[in-house]
Amino acid sequence: MSELVYGIVTGILFGFFLQRGKVLRYDKQIGALRLLDMTIVKFMFTAILVGTVGIYLLTDLGLAKLSVKSTILGATIGGGLLFGIGWGLLGYCPGTAIGAIGEGRWDGVWGVLGMLVGGALYAEAYPWMKQSLLIWGDLGKITLPGVLHVNHWVVIPVFILAGAGLFLFFEKKNL
Amino acid sequence: MRQLRDGNYWSPYLAGAFAGLVLVLSVFMTGNYFGASTSFARSAGLIEQIFSAERVARIEYFTKTTPKIDWQWMFVIGILIGSFIAAKISGTYKAQTIPDMWQEKFGSNVALRGTVAFIGGTVAMFGARLADG
Repeated sequence: MSELVYGIVTGILFGFFLQRGKVLRYDKQIGALRLLDMTIVKFMFTAILVGTVGIYLLTDLGLAKLSVKSTILGATIGGGLLFGIGWGLLGYCPGTAIGAIGEGRWDGVWGVLGMLVGGALYAEAYPWMKQSLLIWGDLGKITLPGVLHVNHWVVIPVFILAGAGLFLFFEKKNL
Repeated sequence: MRQLRDGNYWSPYLAGAFAGLVLVLSVFMTGNYFGASTSFARSAGLIEQIFSAERVARIEYFTKTTPKIDWQWMFVIGILIGSFIAAKISGTYKAQTIPDMWQEKFGSNVALRGTVAFIGGTVAMFGARLADG
C-alpha cells in the first residue's frame, strides 16, 4: 500500500516540475523535433545529469542499485523508429500526454486513448516480437563505463562537460 | 541560463534539475526509477479484463506484465495531478483542444487533430513497449 502512496507523491512532484519547465506542450515537443526550440532537451538533459551524479553516488555508497535494461538492437532501433513517428504525430510522449491533460491540453486525451490501443496491440504482437526483433542483436545489460572498461567517474565528468557545451550552444543560438 | 524565470514559468534547467532530484530521491527511498509506458499496457489489460478475463489470461504478454495498479501506475496518475496543481497555482492552466503550432499549419479541425493524435499515440506506445522504454 505505501508503495502506491510513494508512487502518487513522486508523480505529483515530477508532474509539478514538468509543468513548471513548460515541457508539457505540443509546441515545445514538436519545436524540438523541428530543431526550433530546445526547451525539452534542456529539461531532460539537466534532469539526466543530476540523476546520473545522484544515483551513481548512491550506488557507490551501497544505498541504491542501478536498473540497467538490456540493449537489444532490433527492439531498440525498431521501437525507437516507431516511437519517433508516433511522437511526431501526437506531439507528446506517454508521460507528458498525461501531464498535458493536467494543464488543460485536451488533445492529450486522444493520445492517451491511442496509447491504450497501442499497448493492447503490442500485447497481441508480443509472441511474434519475441521470435524476431526482441532477440536480434541482444548485447545484454551494457553500460558506457562497462564497455569502455573505465570507472563511471571517468565517464560522468565528460558527460557533464558535453551537456554544458550543448547548453552554451543552445543559449548562444537562442534555441 | 540568462534568467531563471520565463514569464510565469521556470527555466527548463531549474525545473529539470528539480525533476532529477525527485528521481534520485525516489531511487533512494523506494528503488523506483521513472517510466510510464508499462502502465498503459497494464491499463489496456485491465480494460480488456472487463470484457473477457479468460482471454486476457491467455495472452502471454499479460502473464509477464500483469494488468494491475502498481507504483508506476500511481506515478502516472500523480503526473496528471502535479501538472494540474502547478498550472492552477501559476495561472498557466489553459483549456485548449488544438495546440497553437498545429493550428498554424493544419487549421482548427478538432477531428483531424484528434485522429492524428490517436494514431500517433497508438504507434508511439507500440514502439515504446517494443524498445522497453
